[in-house]
Amino acid sequence: MAIPGNNNKRDGLLFSLPFLLIYIIFMLFPLLYGLFISFNKWNILSGANFIGLKNYALLFQDPKFISSLLNTFEFVLLSTPPLLIIGFLMALAINSKSPLKGIMENIYFIPYIFSMTVIATLWAWIFQKDFGIVNHIIKMYGGSEIGWLTNEKFAMHSVVVATVWWTAGFNMILMSAGIKQISKEVYESASIDGASPLRVIFSITIPLLKPTLVLCLILQVIASFNIFGQVYVMTGGGPHGTTRVLVQYIYETGFTYFKMGYSAAMSYVLFLVIMAVSFIQYILIGKNDE
Amino acid sequence: MNKKNKTIIYRILEILCIFIWVFPLIWLVVTSLKLESEVITKTFSFFPENPTIANYLKAFTATNILRWLINSIIVSIFTMGLTLAIDAPIAYAFAKIKYPGKSLIFWIVMAGMMIPPQVLIVPLYLQFNTLGLINTLSAVILPRIALPIGIFILKQFFEGIPNALEEAAFIDGASRAKIFVRIILPLGKSAIVTVIILSFINTWNDFLWPLIAINDTLKYTITVGIANFQGTHGTEYSLIMAGAVVASIPQFIFYFFFKKNIIEGIAMSGIKG
Repeated sequence: MAIPGNNNKRDGLLFSLPFLLIYIIFMLFPLLYGLFISFNKWNILSGANFIGLKNYALLFQDPKFISSLLNTFEFVLLSTPPLLIIGFLMALAINSKSPLKGIMENIYFIPYIFSMTVIATLWAWIFQKDFGIVNHIIKMYGGSEIGWLTNEKFAMHSVVVATVWWTAGFNMILMSAGIKQISKEVYESASIDGASPLRVIFSITIPLLKPTLVLCLILQVIASFNIFGQVYVMTGGGPHGTTRVLVQYIYETGFTYFKMGYSAAMSYVLFLVIMAVSFIQYILIGKNDE
Repeated sequence: MNKKNKTIIYRILEILCIFIWVFPLIWLVVTSLKLESEVITKTFSFFPENPTIANYLKAFTATNILRWLINSIIVSIFTMGLTLAIDAPIAYAFAKIKYPGKSLIFWIVMAGMMIPPQVLIVPLYLQFNTLGLINTLSAVILPRIALPIGIFILKQFFEGIPNALEEAAFIDGASRAKIFVRIILPLGKSAIVTVIILSFINTWNDFLWPLIAINDTLKYTITVGIANFQGTHGTEYSLIMAGAVVASIPQFIFYFFFKKNIIEGIAMSGIKG
């Protein structure tokens, strides 16, 4: 568009500048600065002391780091399947012809609008050992109380339950948007051919929904790797560190023990793990049935 | 099994699922209406014997919850406003202005979506410490206003606005800034609402960074305040639940008014808290 008095070069840069400044100062610079910090022994009082890759070498001899990493993987593996499956079932339900679909959409989605700390506080109360409702019900039927959050066998599962309840509705919305894009004619011809509902789901809905399902999976795994708040509120990482996750260890190392360099190194490892896992998923699932 | 029976079974299953899913919320409210002595007891009853709002009164008077809510509202309003103020112009530039380096800048900006916020906490803390902004609400706001996904949504929308509108305005002698404010922004209203909502959800649920950036209890955001409720109020579960209800009221109001936009926003962006 050549219009006199209108300078594209100048205008383009002027309109981009405010964002770019903020983006560089609060995202790009810290990203590089953090990498630099991770090459240092950096105590908030003593300042920087360059030690090269030593923090990274130390990480893999640190049993607390290893266990935090494994706990994080455990959470990812435990939480991802139910979050996707329940989200998918919910999406089917709210796209059915049920008269209850409007209510279902609201009820299933509403937990997601609560802040995570409210959710975690509520579930900490539900799973509370002495007075929580789950144990009350168990005792009513003659069982004995279980330390849902204090027993090593159950603590991580309890955190998973709270998380599934919180964000399954989010996956429902994403998948529902995908289902709505599948053309009605495909379903009509399937029903003319006499396909059973189950057959329709496996032969039509899931294959046609694949791009959305892959997106959900990748987003879900990233979100699960970043878990922190639920654990912080519900178990504090206990019992005996069995629910301590990586972000929590990063937080403790940096802001309880003030070992900034070591903490930064861990956050870069987390970043790399997330990138690698997303990439592998994309390659494996993206290609698999073309 | 005939069709009618099948339908009945489906409805029963659906009602059961709805009940299971809504139950924790019912329990949240029911607990908040109980006396403390009724909560900490080995003899269980579902409904409160003497429903009371004492916990709510106590939450407002004996805790900092109102202060935290106000902090969160201030933080959200500034974050939403500033996000729009910097995201919309660059999205417009990406969509409508030809200038050198545009595609490179665009990809650098989009790559920002890949950066998990947790990676930035240590460097950001040291940065804000140097700036002397630790323990201020600005520290909570500033790192959250650059929202690449917001730019993406706005850019897509602005691209759909016909060039002819702009051209006509240029011929009438309007400046870029005028066109942006008078034509582009009003037409982009629905995309703008989506971006503001995403920014609100992001900010309101932000936990780790405010936990680190703020150490003065009075400056907590509500999300951080609630997390520390249990530490300070121990076993006063009915009070804690009343606090949790109060803390959720703004989001409830928000959901009530913007349900459609919230759902659209999620479907468009796939952003996750």
